[in-house]
Amino acid sequence: MLLTKSDAKKITGRILSYVKADDASVSVRSNKSTNLRFANDAFLTSGSTVEIGANITVWKDGKAGSASTSDFEDSSLKAMVEQAEKVAALAPVDKQYLPTLGMQKYKAVDGYVEDTSNIALKDRAQRAARIIEAGKKEGVITAGFHQAGADASGYATKNGNFGYEKDTFASLSVTARAKDGSSSGYFQRGHHDIKSLDTDRIARESIQKAANGKGAKIIEPGVYPVILEPQAVGDLYGRLRFQFNARLAEEGRSPFSGSKGATKIGEQIFDEKLSVMSDPWHPEVPGSQSAQAGIPAEKISMVKNGVLENLIYSRFWAHKRKVEPTAGPVNLIMTGSGRAMSVEEMIKGSKKALLIGRFWYIRTTDARTASVTGLTRDGVWMVEDGKIAYPVTNLRFNQSLIQAIGKGTVEAVGKPERIGSSTLLPALKLSGFNFTSISEAV
Amino acid sequence: MSFSRRDFLKTTGLALGATVLPSWVYSADISGAPLPVPDKHALADTALKLAKQLGAEYCDIRINKYRVESISSRERQIQNIVSGQNAGFGIRILYKGTWGFAASPFMNTKEVKRVTREAFDIANANSQFQTRPVRLTKEKAVTGKWKSDFKKDPFDVPINEKTDFLLSLNEAALATKGVSFVNSRMAWVNEQKFLANSDGSRVEQYLIRGVPSFSVTAVDRAKGDFASRNSLAQGLSKGWEYTTDYDWLGEAKAAGNEAVMKLSAKPVKPGKYDLILHPSHLFLTIHESVGHSTELDRALLWEANYAGTSFLTPEKTGKLKFGSEIVNFFADKTQKNGLATVGWDDEGVPGQEWDIVKNGKFVGWQTTRSLAHLIGEEKSRGCLYGDSWSSVSFPRMPNLSLKPSKKDISTDALISDVKNGIMIHGRGSYSIDQQRYNFQFGGQTFWEIKNGKVTGMLKDVAYQSRTTDFWGACDGLGGKSTYELPGTFRDGKGQPGQSNAVSHGCPTARFRNINVLNTSSKKA
Repeated sequence: MLLTKSDAKKITGRILSYVKADDASVSVRSNKSTNLRFANDAFLTSGSTVEIGANITVWKDGKAGSASTSDFEDSSLKAMVEQAEKVAALAPVDKQYLPTLGMQKYKAVDGYVEDTSNIALKDRAQRAARIIEAGKKEGVITAGFHQAGADASGYATKNGNFGYEKDTFASLSVTARAKDGSSSGYFQRGHHDIKSLDTDRIARESIQKAANGKGAKIIEPGVYPVILEPQAVGDLYGRLRFQFNARLAEEGRSPFSGSKGATKIGEQIFDEKLSVMSDPWHPEVPGSQSAQAGIPAEKISMVKNGVLENLIYSRFWAHKRKVEPTAGPVNLIMTGSGRAMSVEEMIKGSKKALLIGRFWYIRTTDARTASVTGLTRDGVWMVEDGKIAYPVTNLRFNQSLIQAIGKGTVEAVGKPERIGSSTLLPALKLSGFNFTSISEAV
Repeated sequence: MSFSRRDFLKTTGLALGATVLPSWVYSADISGAPLPVPDKHALADTALKLAKQLGAEYCDIRINKYRVESISSRERQIQNIVSGQNAGFGIRILYKGTWGFAASPFMNTKEVKRVTREAFDIANANSQFQTRPVRLTKEKAVTGKWKSDFKKDPFDVPINEKTDFLLSLNEAALATKGVSFVNSRMAWVNEQKFLANSDGSRVEQYLIRGVPSFSVTAVDRAKGDFASRNSLAQGLSKGWEYTTDYDWLGEAKAAGNEAVMKLSAKPVKPGKYDLILHPSHLFLTIHESVGHSTELDRALLWEANYAGTSFLTPEKTGKLKFGSEIVNFFADKTQKNGLATVGWDDEGVPGQEWDIVKNGKFVGWQTTRSLAHLIGEEKSRGCLYGDSWSSVSFPRMPNLSLKPSKKDISTDALISDVKNGIMIHGRGSYSIDQQRYNFQFGGQTFWEIKNGKVTGMLKDVAYQSRTTDFWGACDGLGGKSTYELPGTFRDGKGQPGQSNAVSHGCPTARFRNINVLNTSSKKA
């Protein structure tokens, strides 16, 4: 069952009616999801889940307590409020407390499609079976995961705010492997509208990568120009929005910290071809209508033409710094200036580069420079004289994410594509990427 | 009226007897808002009867409740106190060799019937395209109750004791001049699990896990530099006593000093070094390179689309040289205070111990009832786990540990035979390929060793190796006195993604001639 707006209004109202504390913020949510997992050319697990939940945070004499429950019966909701109030009574004063928001005006986001919320079991099973068969025809083994679901949630405050939203999401990922284990290909896409999920393309791309990846050559680790498909860009930069934290930057512990408490706002941090933003109403990747603490989300530019324009201020930190809190981000969109180039054009324009479809197991090695290590996965190809010359073995890299797209390093930017639930990213051609060892894993 | 669980047990006489569980069966749970108390056996009867009528080859129902509590702080303030719980049931049906699973939080007979049918409908729809039917090992039906090893239930401890504990850690860390920030956190988890299956098994379990942690940061604003030192201690299946039987204050104070030291530590010169790895670091290397590579589902490509496969394959069992002859790994679902220790797994297989690597040779896999027969074994090793009532159970890692030396060799004795080396404490950056071969690990503190003695602190260290080369280079193990049981609280795997908590006991160990990198990009 998904909560309707009226359900959400009633339940949040009931919860707030039990609150004795000075202030409170509540949320209720519901979710239904269904999935099918296949591997080694056979069906593995498949499930369907309904979940509901309610959360509350209360403040009494400036002291906060939170509690949650998975039951909407009055007795449980009442007990949840009592639990939060009991926690608040014992807690120290919350020095970051700011009164909850009063009534806000939200501009609705269109991220719900009924068909995504109700898929037919047999149709899904047939699609998965078709992918397995397509792989068999090409002599590769396939594994994949299809999921579809819907969320509906409501939130309210003791000071009079109320909001409701619902959204859907469907995704399919497929990995194809050569039978002898010598090559592997991967492709995945997700969308809020299941009709825009091109399952045939996902199967085709992963199977082709595996088929074209056989006979990989070993190359010397070192610095190579790279062409990164949107998935690879997402693997590296999908979490970029979390780096734009104003407090960390002002406290001197972020790659965007300047000297003596200053930040790098106004400085060129990325190549001038790149811009990074959040847009709740983007038709391809709708975000939430509500940003932190219920502030109505707005379009925000973090980086424009390589220059750092905005950092993200929480309500507390904004209050302390006497600035406006940031109305986002609620998604991550990276765009390029000038004409978008396709991956094929990037290949044609390259004397020598590595074409990479995916990265794996990326971990920070130096927070000061946003340096990370990780590996390529599911296929790397050497591009020479404008053509894909041959597949190469996987490689480990050690690279600063900021230096990789720093001033003068981005040679081409593609058309942004929706990769995951909240990212819209382009393919990139970068002048140098530091590979440090060979990985024989496939 | 407030009513403690202990009071309830006392007044009802349920505290008598070793098998009594402080389960939500008995309700009256002061530390969390009460949830409806279902008649679990009646609900299980309904599901199992209907599944049989529908023609299911196997069915299980898990009716579980979870409580979580987490408190976070920074410097001299508490940032967040969260207390949550959720409950529901999940039903797994095997029909024509195909799984179907469905779950719901609405615990009543009508909903159990709906969900049973839904699980069946999923299995039925998919079975028409199934190419490799699932088979299960035959296991003995089990009944009983089990509780993890803890002295004081953390959910019975008042919040202010917990916030005081965190703020005292922060004060200890802030006592060092030059420390700019400290964040600390504690998380407690309580799983209350009921399982019934069509083999006749019915078991109930009550598990507690906890993980205090902190991170101390020193900032040098003049140089625009900063360094952090995270806590070395890891999560355990222990109660509130974990906050007193480990020297948390001492470690917080040491962390403050070491965060400041890191700012001026000598950058490591890349090259080959002998490594002395402390258990607070080595456990994660074991987890990534040994724990994941010996999961049979990975080797059989079941995880190919997400977590990855393995460089090990079934035909390498009993043949592959995994490490040097002193290297012995064992899996143990019964290890005291282990994060993955259970009475039974999620399909009723008892906790057990078995060899994974013996005298350097790879000998054993992690299996479940649907995996064991695929390598010719008749019984499951009991590795099935679902992280929620709403998650389908699937193969997860047991506690997997490295045996210490039979002789009680000290860490100092291991260091004494190192001319040019580095000692590493704590979990840092870690990355490994999808077949668990090529890895790169950092840590929290790095100590230079010259001619058998620790001479000072290094920074920006990571070592890179291949799993079998690395374990082949192990030439020294500490004895029992160096053995610890660290673990990781959130190990991700599966689609949809699930989290597993697992421990990896190990002594201090020595590795020869390992490739070390400098991870700072500032040098470039």
